[in-house]
This record gives sequence, C-alpha cells and structure tokens, in this order.
Amino acid sequence: MSHNHESEQAPQKRKGFKHHAKKVHGRVTKYLTERDTILATIWVFVFIIALGSIPLNLGIMNPVKLGLKDFDFNDITYSKLGKGERTPVDSNIVIVNIGYANREELAMMIDAVGAMNPKVMALDALFYGPRDPHQDSLLSETFRKYKNLIVARRLELHGKEGDTVSFAGDYFNTASQYAHVNLFTDSISSVRSFEPFFEDYSHKRYPFFATAIVKAFDSAAYKKLENYGTKKVIINYTRHVGRYLLLQFEDIIAGNIEEKAIGGKIVLLGFVDNNRDNLEDKFFTPMNERFAGKSIPDMSGIVIHANIISMALAKDYIKKVPLWGNLLLAILVCWIHMSFFIHYYLESHIWFHLAAKIAQVLSAILFVWLGIYLYDRYRLKVDMKLSIVVIVMAVDVIYFYEAWAVWMHKKFNFRTVFKPHHH
Amino acid sequence: MKKLKFFIPLLVFAATAGAQSDFLLYSLKGNVSVVENGVETKAKIGKMLNSAATLKIATGGTATLICNESAMFTISKAGNYPLSKFGDSCKVTGGSVSANYVKYVWASMTKSSGTPGSNRKAFMNTVGAVSRSINNVWIDPRLDTVNYSGGDFPLSWKSYADAKEFEFLLYNNDNITEPAYKTTVTKLKIPIPDICKLMSAGKSYYWTAAVKGEENDELKVLNFVSKESFEKTLAGFKSFGAPGETPAQQAYRVAFMLEDAHYLSEAYQHYSKAATLDSSNVLYRSTLMSFKKDYEIK
Repeated sequence: MSHNHESEQAPQKRKGFKHHAKKVHGRVTKYLTERDTILATIWVFVFIIALGSIPLNLGIMNPVKLGLKDFDFNDITYSKLGKGERTPVDSNIVIVNIGYANREELAMMIDAVGAMNPKVMALDALFYGPRDPHQDSLLSETFRKYKNLIVARRLELHGKEGDTVSFAGDYFNTASQYAHVNLFTDSISSVRSFEPFFEDYSHKRYPFFATAIVKAFDSAAYKKLENYGTKKVIINYTRHVGRYLLLQFEDIIAGNIEEKAIGGKIVLLGFVDNNRDNLEDKFFTPMNERFAGKSIPDMSGIVIHANIISMALAKDYIKKVPLWGNLLLAILVCWIHMSFFIHYYLESHIWFHLAAKIAQVLSAILFVWLGIYLYDRYRLKVDMKLSIVVIVMAVDVIYFYEAWAVWMHKKFNFRTVFKPHHH
Repeated sequence: MKKLKFFIPLLVFAATAGAQSDFLLYSLKGNVSVVENGVETKAKIGKMLNSAATLKIATGGTATLICNESAMFTISKAGNYPLSKFGDSCKVTGGSVSANYVKYVWASMTKSSGTPGSNRKAFMNTVGAVSRSINNVWIDPRLDTVNYSGGDFPLSWKSYADAKEFEFLLYNNDNITEPAYKTTVTKLKIPIPDICKLMSAGKSYYWTAAVKGEENDELKVLNFVSKESFEKTLAGFKSFGAPGETPAQQAYRVAFMLEDAHYLSEAYQHYSKAATLDSSNVLYRSTLMSFKKDYEIK
C-alpha cells in the first residue's frame, strides 16, 4: 500500500520541481537577450562612472562611505568564520617578547637566544640615540657578535618624490644586517599589504624587515618573494599570536626553554602585549574581531612580520583578480539581475519591489559567500563590492531607463518592451 | 584464518599508531615536570611530547599545550596527567568557512543583539572610570640602590598625575612603617645634600616619593657611604687603569665603573671631570649630557 502511494507521488514531485525550476529559469532568462536589458545594464555602469567622476569628495557627507573605506568582505572569514582558529602553529617561527627590557636586558636576551643556535634572529626594536653607556656598549657588542641577527631600522623618505632615503632608529651600527620595519600605510587603516623592497631614486633596493629574514632563512622562498620587487603584496594572514610559539624573557633567562624549539629556526624578538588597552606597536589587521565600524588595533607589529614570513615560506600568496576581471563579473551579475528585475517590472509589477528586495538580499549573501569561498579555498581575492553595488543600483536605474526608453520611442520610434504608462 | 590472525593485530596497531597525538608545551607556570619512558625531567617550553608522556603539575602550576599543532588547552589543576587521556582535547571544533558563513548569516538575520534596556548584563561591562589604587609616581629603576658619599646629586621621580606638590619620605633601615623624615616639595626631585644632615655615614636608608595625599609603597635604597670607604673603592677603580692612560681617560673610565657600582653622584663628578679635561672629546660630552638628562641634573 505504502509502496503504491510512494510510486504515485514521486513522479508528481519530480514534475513539480522541474516545473518550478523552469519557471524561475524563465523569469531570469526571458528578457536576457532583449536590447532593453543590455541597454539598462549599460546605463547602470554609466551612472556608476558618472557618480564616480564627480570631482568632489562627497564621502564627508556619507557616513556609510566613510565607514566602508577600509572594509573588505573577506575580513569576515577571520572575525566571524573562525578562519585563523584552525591554522596549525608555525614551527619555523618563534616569537620572543622583549617587553620593556632595557638595552642591557636586550643584550642578555639576544645572547641567551643566540646560544640556542637559531638560524636567523631578528630584533624589531628601534634605538634613537645614546642612553646608559654601559648598556649601550653591551648591546653594541652583542649586535657585532651575531652575524645571523637582523636589526630593525626606520626608512625616512625625503625629496619632492619621496625617493631619497635616510635611516632612523639605527643608533648602533654594529649589526651585520639592518632592514626597515615601517609599513607604507596610515596608522588607522588595516595593514593589508607590504612592499618587499623599497627603491630609491638611484634604483637601489632596500629590503623590508620580513624580506631580509626570509632571505636569510630560505633562498627558494626568497626568490619567489624577490619577484614581487617593489609591488604591493597582499598579506595572507593565517595566524594570530597564539599560533606562534611565544616566549617570555624570564623563561629564557631561567632556562625554561627547550633548545630544539629555537635551534635552526627564525626567532623574532619584538614587543607583544595581549592587553587590549596597551596599543604600543599595534595595528589594525583583517583579523580584527570587528570587521567594520569602530574598533581598537588588534595585532602587534612583530606578529604582522611573522604572518608575512609564514606566507613567504609556505609560498602561500594571495592572487588578486585584476580590475577587468571584477568589472566583467559585475557586468555579468548586473545583466542577469536586470533581466530578472525587468521581468517582474513588466509582468508582475505588483510584486516587483518585494521580489527585487528579496533578490538583492539573497544575491548579496550569495556573492559575499562566493568571494569568501574563493579567498579561503584558492587564495583568490575577488572584489565583490562592485557586483553588489550594481545589484543595488539596478532597481533604481530601471525607473530611469523606462522614462528614457519611452522618450526615445516617442522621439525616434525606438523599439522597446516598455510601453508608455504601462503601470 | 592464519592470515587474519596476522592482519588483525597489524590493523589494531596501525589504528593505535594513527591515533597518536603530538603535544607542544606552549607555556608553563610554576612547577611542572614531564615523565617520559619512566624518566622525570623538568618541563620546558617548546618541548614536543607524545601521547605516552605524563605531565606532572604541582600546586599553583599551569601548563598550556597545543595538540597536533592546532588544538590549544590549559591544565591548571595540580596532578598527574597521562597525555593519552587528552584525545578529546585534540579535536578541532568548528566547521568549514562556508558552513560557518551560513550559520553566521542565519544567526545575524534571526537573532537580535539586544538593547541596553533588554540585556543589562551584557551592556554593563564598560570600565566606567579610572582606578585610583595605582601609583602615580614612577621612580627610575636605576635609582633602586644609590650609594652616596658626597656631592650634589638629586633623587628624582616622574609623575603621571598633574600634581603640584609631592611628598618625599625617608625611612630608617630598621623601621619602614614610620618615616624618619617627611617633607613636601614642588619639584620632581630632592637634592641628597638637603637630607644629609638626617643621615649617618655607614648606614642604609629607604626613600620614596608620592603625589601629596597619595601613598607609594615602592621603596628605594640609599646607602650613605663613609668617605673612607668610598676612597678605598675609588682607589681600587683607579688601580685598574692601563699604562699611558690620560687623566681624562681615567676620569671617564672611573666614572663608568662608579656608575656601575651605583655611586651616581661620584660618577657624575668624574664624567664632568673627563669632559672638562678633554672638552674636544664628543663621547665624553655626550655621555655627560645623557647622564644629566637621565638623572634630572640641571
């Protein structure tokens, strides 16, 4: 009995699904190849170009624009979707917290770490001038002693073009290697990229701190990084501070560290304070727990360097889809949506606004997911902002397009699916 | 059947070996030791342990471990912990990014974050105001111990508060509950000669400074060294000189050694002497300048 019942229902269900799928397909594709759909799509982009060409910065009157200035949909992957939580600890890198150690203590720290034979040591601290002569002489000698030590300095740019270089923060000149630590970003934006090298007016290249470390640790990884030259490289953030072995000064001095944990590895000596109220050398990153709106800096500079090094060693770079690719996607998205909207506008106008709003929300969710999926799975960064903007604008442009098409029809007998006062 | 007898233990062994977890000792506090192959050793940060190891935590100790490079957990209760029992802690929770995205969108669309009126507990967790139990005066750690025999040298401090008056307190070595001397000053320092008459040579004292009306528990040591004792020390330092050392070089070297021995006033005199004897020497002058800046000598 039951079997008979199922066998009677099943074909009906299949038919029903097919029927609905066909209906939805029809709603999307019926007007897809119409001239009006293509022209309305073009009008959406004309509006975007026109609005973008206004030579005034209207952002000051637009809190949404101001709020979204530093916004990236992919940031949600870290703050809400737990991307960084499952990343394994990077076994190549160890971070030593220098805390508020003075120069003598820093010398002791470097000596203690150096005795455990790391492959590379890098000190992310700047020294602007003489202090205690006794401490200065100790640190200076320590710098001289370790040939595998890279010390931070600041790159100061001068001249009209900002291409003349001088250095700061490198009071001690006894270290065998120095590299600049300052990133070319303003202090309130998220640190999303870095430049592996800076090139001055004479085409002399200065390696970035993380670049110098990678060079000293792994020549194959460095070769790949070197190919990026002075271009901006998007940082593939994979780890917060808890995903690196973090050692404290007291533990090093007390001999509480396993030598194998440091031997043959990269040891980054820098300031780390997990106290949220301490903002010294902390930056905004995509890993911030708030991906939009007001927040506080979330990552210490040394952890940013560690993330860059992890990325370079794993050769796990992010590929950015070029502007033409994002534009092509936006055109495709706009075209399909326009076809769907025009269908409702002409054939079920009473439902037009409701259907359009639902479609806008669902499409936004879908395209944000697509961007996140490509970023997470293939390290492919697609800018979905334009695609979402065109979906939002398409609804308003239909009204303008209808008026324009009717006017064209009256004036030039332009063939259109929009009839005068059809609703 | 014979083949089965051979394969079943092999499969069991393979399954057991596959379930082995690696533990990284991420951080430690207090007394923690590791027992591996029956041998107990002191636990060290960065050590890799396998499931066969046992962690021994003494009272007050804590250990944070990372299992299989991913799952982090902390043990803070005293006891013996065979790591084989932490299989569950090695499981990494959380689905794929796509699944989490669907959950996040659904939660955002269906759950209200609440308002201050409806969820008082969640919205009443701001700091509110500054705490007033913190010390508003900072004394340079280089002044932790000062040996003094004579000369003009100040005991200085820094203030985080916008205060106009400060209290300087001097305690005898054997009584740190009642100050032997207490005075109010408007500057962020007090010259040692001003308090010399209150001290006896060869005795140790404690001192501190606080914003007037506040307390500072941080006590610093001031050893009032006799002239004879200091002269002995000085003679010892002078005798270390290399042959052919000029008076300026000797003054600079002795100043460096005196500073290291916490004779700050005397070090200042010798740095000044070195800079005067060889005024063309940039190192002598810059050292003197930074010394004066560090110790608030005007």
